[in-house]
Amino acid sequence: MSSTILPTHLLGRLCFLFAIILFEYMYCFRGRTTIPGHLKLFGIVTDTYGQIPLFAFFVFIGFGHRRLKTHLEEIPFSLGLFVGHLLCIAVVLAINFLAAQSGLFWSSFDPSSYIKSAVYLLGTALLILACLPLRSWIVAIRSTGFLSLYAAVAGVAGWLLGTSVTSLWRATSTVESGMMQRTTLYAVGAVLRHFLPDLIVDPATFMIGTPRYLVIIAGGCSGVEGLGLVLIFTSFWLWFFRKEIRFPQALLLIPCALGCSWLLNIVRLCALVLIENAGGTEIATVGFHVQAGWIAFILITLLFSMATLKIPWLRKSSSVVSGVATDAQGCGIDNGTDAASELSEERGESPAIRAYMVPFLSILAASFVSKAASGYFEWLYPLRFVAAAVALWYFRPELKKLNWRFGWAAPLAGVAVFLVWIAPTLWSHHFAISRLGPALAALPLADRWTWIAFRVAAAVVTVPVAEELAFRGYLARRLMSRDFDSIPFTGLTALSIALSSIAFGLMHGQQWLVGILAGLAYAFALRWRGRIGDAVLAHAISNLLLAVWVLGFGDWAQW
Amino acid sequence: MARKFLKYTLILVGMVLCTCVAANALVFRGPYKSTPEIDSGMAVSAFTLLAGSIAVLRVRRKK
Repeated sequence: MSSTILPTHLLGRLCFLFAIILFEYMYCFRGRTTIPGHLKLFGIVTDTYGQIPLFAFFVFIGFGHRRLKTHLEEIPFSLGLFVGHLLCIAVVLAINFLAAQSGLFWSSFDPSSYIKSAVYLLGTALLILACLPLRSWIVAIRSTGFLSLYAAVAGVAGWLLGTSVTSLWRATSTVESGMMQRTTLYAVGAVLRHFLPDLIVDPATFMIGTPRYLVIIAGGCSGVEGLGLVLIFTSFWLWFFRKEIRFPQALLLIPCALGCSWLLNIVRLCALVLIENAGGTEIATVGFHVQAGWIAFILITLLFSMATLKIPWLRKSSSVVSGVATDAQGCGIDNGTDAASELSEERGESPAIRAYMVPFLSILAASFVSKAASGYFEWLYPLRFVAAAVALWYFRPELKKLNWRFGWAAPLAGVAVFLVWIAPTLWSHHFAISRLGPALAALPLADRWTWIAFRVAAAVVTVPVAEELAFRGYLARRLMSRDFDSIPFTGLTALSIALSSIAFGLMHGQQWLVGILAGLAYAFALRWRGRIGDAVLAHAISNLLLAVWVLGFGDWAQW
Repeated sequence: MARKFLKYTLILVGMVLCTCVAANALVFRGPYKSTPEIDSGMAVSAFTLLAGSIAVLRVRRKK
């Protein structure tokens, strides 16, 4: 079988194969990091040896992609083997389902766990051969010389190094373990002593706080996860924009970003203890604890990326490599600085992106702030509405140019999405448990209805407009071309609709599947007549009916 | 040579930390509720906000 949807060449097919394996592994072994559990490798009892193929693949693709991409012959796809693979995965999911139904969490040494792993490995082998026949594997290995061997060695080396690094923040019996925890504990203690005279610091148990509240600085709280994420982002960023950035100066930004990450984690922990000490335990543990970490990560990475793009000392000035300079001269551009900015401008986004994306980004940014200041009940939700409304008002001159008219199909699509959305609830006759209802009931009447009014207004007005502009107006067309605003909505392709709908679905957490279906429905409503008004109205109708359902039947989990 | 070594070291260290972070975030915590440091539910929102902000900030100047 040959399909234009699947990558047809060697490199693309390898990446596709790896993405599918990674996704299925995460999905089939969710909540467990290994197949089938703990094993002893190189004298180390571990549950993380799944990292070995991960490292090996990245090394193989990273260093071999130049050679692999020269193989442009079309690779066949075996549908028969793929069906066999799907059957194996179905068996694995059925075993997962039975385990969930029986309420059991299978141990690593349970025989059924080994059966599941064996079926999974068989299914993966079938997928490997379905995507790439044996002949293609031989071609890939031959064309890359000893790289496959190096990749395997690097996979094991990376895993061994990773196991050692993990001991920095996971307390074990070794003396070096918990170093990050201890350093963070002392730093937080040094700051908090200025605010809390009765501060308690216990290095033996990593506890810190006051006699009223004590916080344990666990391995993850030591800031290592933030450091890891920042290191990944900064490394990837420097590599991606290597033609625009000046080296080695730009490398200095990495330790700066890591230092900022560690310091902001200290600030986060200090604020956490202070909030708890002030009586806001629920806000500290439920909202602030997680949200503050993400806010810090976003701030650091945004500052880092802007520094590499805006600070002249970090930008290539004497022409973005000679090749670009030559090209630039050919175009009548005088010097290298102009060539660098020209390249940057060519790579930049269309100015129209602001009107399409800023309202949605405002909602996301407001949600982080709102959740950080909330416990189980997001009392600051109106901030999301206000942020989006201000952004939409600011960009109204650009937005007025869009076609906001709509037809009869839009309400029908909206009703259909609503029915699909509540179908699981109708099927099970069971409302999921939510803390929202009791929290609202505890509010004074005026506060309760003010909150509900903002919640409904956001669901029916600002969210549909902002999300349709972002996912259908921008993303679906941006996947087709950098100058997305030059593409008519009627020109959306099946692939761009599918990918933007998947992104839309993933934004809806556990309801990702229904979210994808909703995204598809809105996208087709938009594409049919090429009017953004159709998609927005369909989305607004779905949300309005859902609001009526929630308020009418008390199914608060839908909000 | 030094730059090449630095490059490869950076890649390896990045990969190691990446998978360690993922393993730490995904580690099975049993049926008990805990407050995760990296909430995977928020990860999609965080990376969308980051990617979207960078895209908006990298807008081309009008000629």
